Amino acid sequence: MDAERRRESRSWDWDSPQCRAQLDEIFFRQHDYIQAGSSEHKEFWAFFERFQRFKTKRDMSVSKGGSSKEDRDGKDRRKTGHVDLGLPKEYDARYRINVSVCTRDVEERVGKTEHRSKHRSSGPGSQEISDFRLTLLHFLDFNQRQSFGKLAKLRREQKNLPIFHYRDRIVELVRSHPVVVVAGDTGCGKSTQVPQYLLSAGFNNVACTQPRRIACISLAKRVSFESLNQYGSKVGYQIRFETTRTTATKLLFLTEGLLLRQIQQDKTLAQYEVVIVDEVHERHLHCDFLLGVLRSLLSDRPDLRLILMSATINIKLFSDYFNSAPVLQVPGRLFPIQVIYQPIPPEEQPSRSEKLDPRPYLRILQGIDQRYPPEERGDLLLFLSGVAEISSIQEACQVYATHTRRWIVLPLHSTLSLAQQDKVFDIAPPGVRKCIISTNIAETSVTIDGVRFVVDSGKVKEMSFDPKAKMQRLQEFWISRASSEQRKGRAGRTGPGVCYRLYAESDYDAFAPYPVPEIHRVALDSLILQMKSMSLGDPLSFVFIDPPPAASIQTAVTYLKEQGALDNHCELTSIGSLLAQLPVDVVIGKMLVLGSLFNLVEPVLTVAAALSVQSPFLRSSQQNPDCATARQPLHSNQGDPFSLLNTFNAWVEVKGERGGGSRKWCRRRGLEEQRLYEMVNLRRQFKDLLRSHELLESEDCTSSSGDRGQRRERITERRKLHQMKRDHEQQEGTKRKVLKLEEGQDGEFSSGSDTEEAGRRKKSKESSGQDVDIQEVKFKLRHNVTELQEAVGVSQDLSSRQQALLKLLLCRGLYPQLALPDEHNSTRKDSDQVFHTKNKHGVVVHPTSVFASDPEVLQVPEDNASEMGSDKKDSSKHQLLAFVTLLETNKPYLSNCVRVPALQALLLVANSVDSNADCTRLVIDGWLEVELREAEEALKVLSSALTLRAEWERMLQAKLGQNKMEDSAVSGVTRKMVEKLSDGLVRFLLYTEITYSLRRLAALQVQNLYIGPRSESELCHMKALDLNPLFPGAEAKPDPIKGGLRVTSFFTYNCLADSKDLYSECLRTFWSCPNCDLYMPLTPLERMQHEATCRPAGEQQQLEEEAEKGKTGSVSSLTRVYHCDVCNEDLKLTSTEILKHKRQHMYSAK
Amino acid sequence: MAQAIGETPHNTFTCQLCGLSSPYTYYGQKPPNTRAIVLLEECFVTRDPFSPDRDKFLVLGSTCSLCNTCVCVGSDCSLFYTKRFCMQCVNKHLDQFPSQIQTELAKKNPSPRPAVS
Ligand SMILES: [Zn+2]
Ligand SMILES: [Zn+2]
Repeated sequence: MDAERRRESRSWDWDSPQCRAQLDEIFFRQHDYIQAGSSEHKEFWAFFERFQRFKTKRDMSVSKGGSSKEDRDGKDRRKTGHVDLGLPKEYDARYRINVSVCTRDVEERVGKTEHRSKHRSSGPGSQEISDFRLTLLHFLDFNQRQSFGKLAKLRREQKNLPIFHYRDRIVELVRSHPVVVVAGDTGCGKSTQVPQYLLSAGFNNVACTQPRRIACISLAKRVSFESLNQYGSKVGYQIRFETTRTTATKLLFLTEGLLLRQIQQDKTLAQYEVVIVDEVHERHLHCDFLLGVLRSLLSDRPDLRLILMSATINIKLFSDYFNSAPVLQVPGRLFPIQVIYQPIPPEEQPSRSEKLDPRPYLRILQGIDQRYPPEERGDLLLFLSGVAEISSIQEACQVYATHTRRWIVLPLHSTLSLAQQDKVFDIAPPGVRKCIISTNIAETSVTIDGVRFVVDSGKVKEMSFDPKAKMQRLQEFWISRASSEQRKGRAGRTGPGVCYRLYAESDYDAFAPYPVPEIHRVALDSLILQMKSMSLGDPLSFVFIDPPPAASIQTAVTYLKEQGALDNHCELTSIGSLLAQLPVDVVIGKMLVLGSLFNLVEPVLTVAAALSVQSPFLRSSQQNPDCATARQPLHSNQGDPFSLLNTFNAWVEVKGERGGGSRKWCRRRGLEEQRLYEMVNLRRQFKDLLRSHELLESEDCTSSSGDRGQRRERITERRKLHQMKRDHEQQEGTKRKVLKLEEGQDGEFSSGSDTEEAGRRKKSKESSGQDVDIQEVKFKLRHNVTELQEAVGVSQDLSSRQQALLKLLLCRGLYPQLALPDEHNSTRKDSDQVFHTKNKHGVVVHPTSVFASDPEVLQVPEDNASEMGSDKKDSSKHQLLAFVTLLETNKPYLSNCVRVPALQALLLVANSVDSNADCTRLVIDGWLEVELREAEEALKVLSSALTLRAEWERMLQAKLGQNKMEDSAVSGVTRKMVEKLSDGLVRFLLYTEITYSLRRLAALQVQNLYIGPRSESELCHMKALDLNPLFPGAEAKPDPIKGGLRVTSFFTYNCLADSKDLYSECLRTFWSCPNCDLYMPLTPLERMQHEATCRPAGEQQQLEEEAEKGKTGSVSSLTRVYHCDVCNEDLKLTSTEILKHKRQHMYSAK
Repeated sequence: MAQAIGETPHNTFTCQLCGLSSPYTYYGQKPPNTRAIVLLEECFVTRDPFSPDRDKFLVLGSTCSLCNTCVCVGSDCSLFYTKRFCMQCVNKHLDQFPSQIQTELAKKNPSPRPAVS
């Protein structure tokens, strides 16, 4: 038998694939616990090899051997008075395994005797089978131990959290009170544990809001792991473009903004039993507002449970706001932190213009090197106020780091690429510390473990809104005591730490207790709009936890009225209610609505999305000549939105052709691809929103269906993609790289080497076959590239006409955010170009803008310059900049600008156009003055603008009102009408050849701008003149403030104080209409009025036919009922006919 | 064989020694969908939460073969050696266990640790 076995063993090779395959067929079949080909199967064979090696080693060391036979009696072990446990005498590790594997197959092979194995000398014999089975049992046991170890560790950690002791108390409080405040500091575990306590107490449908998207994802991941539902969907998250929510989801992490949107749809929030609002102490705008909304919602939902979670900051405020809600205070878990005050000596204090002096910071690094041995681990986190400060200190620290080789210097702020941000989580090699130089992003948003030293500059840059200059301002402030403590706490998360404060203790005592809540700092436009759409009544009487200043609400209301989102009674207009549902700034929402009217939806969608996310152009790559060259073809000197449009289009094209290759494409151009992914998602959301409001026709489903083969192919591909996504999620975050000592050196200032570095790293990863571009996978899952390419193709090569129209739409969306180039710009250096907005003089274009590098395109051509004088340059080529943001940092900067023809754009979008008698002088919005040379031309251009605007407005209103009268097949706006309007607008924009001067009014001129109201007798016979048909709904009447005649809501005629002749408005000159046979003396106003309605004969007829077809009448009918006082009769006439009719009486009266 | 489908809070396993508690979905020797696998004792079993495969099981614990105490499979609470023994019983009858186990335990617990409840 022994000999036989030996022979068998000789032919049996554990390492041969054939032998292994034979075993697979016995143990790992399709229906077995472990299946051949599965990842566990792979793990088993790896384990098998380890186990074999282990056995060989053991056999060698215990060579004395001994019978491995089971000996169950063990009688000799029995001691007096003891129970016999009946344990086998000889130790064998297999007795420690509580699992067995038995199938008939296996039993047969093990049990059957030798005669069988004689014939099957190549197959596994009984010994092999039982050896193998034993290994399998060890493997199963090993897996059990591993998983149980994880579970035990998890439970241990949960138990060790400070909040664990309050578990029952929390559940009890929530059961008995509608609102509970849970206050606990960093590390107490409230965010992860409280939701779990509620779930296990039997609460279902729990929502937990977070101020940041990233927190929603990471919390959902952590909590689903902790609640042993890592692979289920009991715990999910929902953020702007992504959700893991299913019907099985019981706990949902979502952003504050998203919960607010859900309340918009579901007024009583019936879908939730419990709402947890986390991090309320951060006092974000959305959070403050959400609390107010929930507070009023509670009366309708007495069963709803609300839990506010906060750091131990200002707790009373929250409790009081909710009728003295009970507060449960949980201690945090921080290690002791030593605070050292090290105020910066006066000679090292930064002066306003200079760079930060790095000496105080370097001293701390040196001090750490002297005091703490390098083998004692612990990194340093340095808080500075802004990006410029970070780069100057980084530079100095890097020199020190290169010299000492004991530090890796890493910057951290939100404008870095995500890959660079991610580096702060990597590990420093032994003996080296990370020195992370960060903005306040690391105060709450980003948590880095292993920090032992914190350096706090005590400064922060905060955004505030200046309503007077209509400008955002980024200013440096001292931080609050609360922030200061928060920063300090970052040193004691993983062990005792040290916090160096670069200010005196007396400074600390003088700090404000808390940061200024966002609601007191920012523009409230979006908030007020949302309040209106949620019918929350007068914003001034809404009970906020900490009401914003009334003036700030008033500013927002005025702004919304200017934008047409609110009407004069502060009610939401139809465009306003649409804007309220778009998760973007009002100006961008307006662009979308405007774009949907014309055939320009695709490019407008892209631009709107691009302007709503951070710029994809990485600033650090700007100095890199290779990036700059590669980017060049993407730039458009029409304006930054066009560069963004080109970039997006080119990227989609690359995506279509090369798929994953887009990453490289982006890197070469210094683009943050993440932003492009955000754009494509946002764009999709916009499109869906427009569609759901019937502003966009639903796409016919033909393109997505394809033939059956294609469909199946797509399904297979999707399945594969889903698998890739799951695989990625599983291995995500498991490994952290060890940083190289040189890592910090290729940070900001030499991004060239940085991109190479990233490329190298990527290559090595790819070769190991683990590199999955998860963004690409998600992209493919979410978007159909072919469809996207088609959509984008539309906006790829815009004709100059389309471009002109798109610019006008952007300009109307962005209005009143317009800037005028300074008249002396042509004599200035490129970098010194100055612009003026209505409220802020002397602003500059941001260096990232195309107009900063190419300002010539804004200059008025020299040959057009007039001989009249230097300050009044006559030209037909004046341009304005429409801009997205005006932000003051060290200077007031305009960002995302687009250039537009000045007069044309102003006449088409401005809210206030005032003229003198012959319309040769116009004042727009009370700050821009236009002087035209020829009265004849002036009248003509004004007249066309009025006509176009009226038509545009009519169509827009019809389009917006369209969804209300759903059943009627008659659409108020036909394609033909739109085409005609766009044609008219384009012609007006491109071919208006009129010479004029353009300048900003001086302060004194603004004061004496208008003639003011005039007495009745002075009004000539204007009153009698009926201007109504020109602009329906607008009554032409004397303007009570400006004087003159208010012709439309935006145009006031002859109200300017320096009018040469007050009576020229009554002066008639003979004029013949080019369209009809009219030839008679008319006043300027009468002439405009005629022009507004008189069309070339053919066109006129066509229009009337159309009007006849569309019975709605309100939009297109040109005739109206006119009551003539003289005839005392109701007449149905077009406005020209009315004019003629009245003229009759006038002449006959003479 | 008590078999529960889905996780309900009523079926909670709690170790009487360390207090570890977790919902279980099955009690017995033949967990569902495990094919050829048989447990050598009656166990509290749940789906392995750390495996993406729905059919993988995890043994949480069982009862001591001597004193019937409900114990988890953690090495601080129990030991399986042909049968399940809670750590209290192991310590009581330590002399009957093979020397390998004795040294192993001595190495791990220099001084006998009181059970945590
Ligand atoms: Zn236990
Ligand atoms: Zn026992």
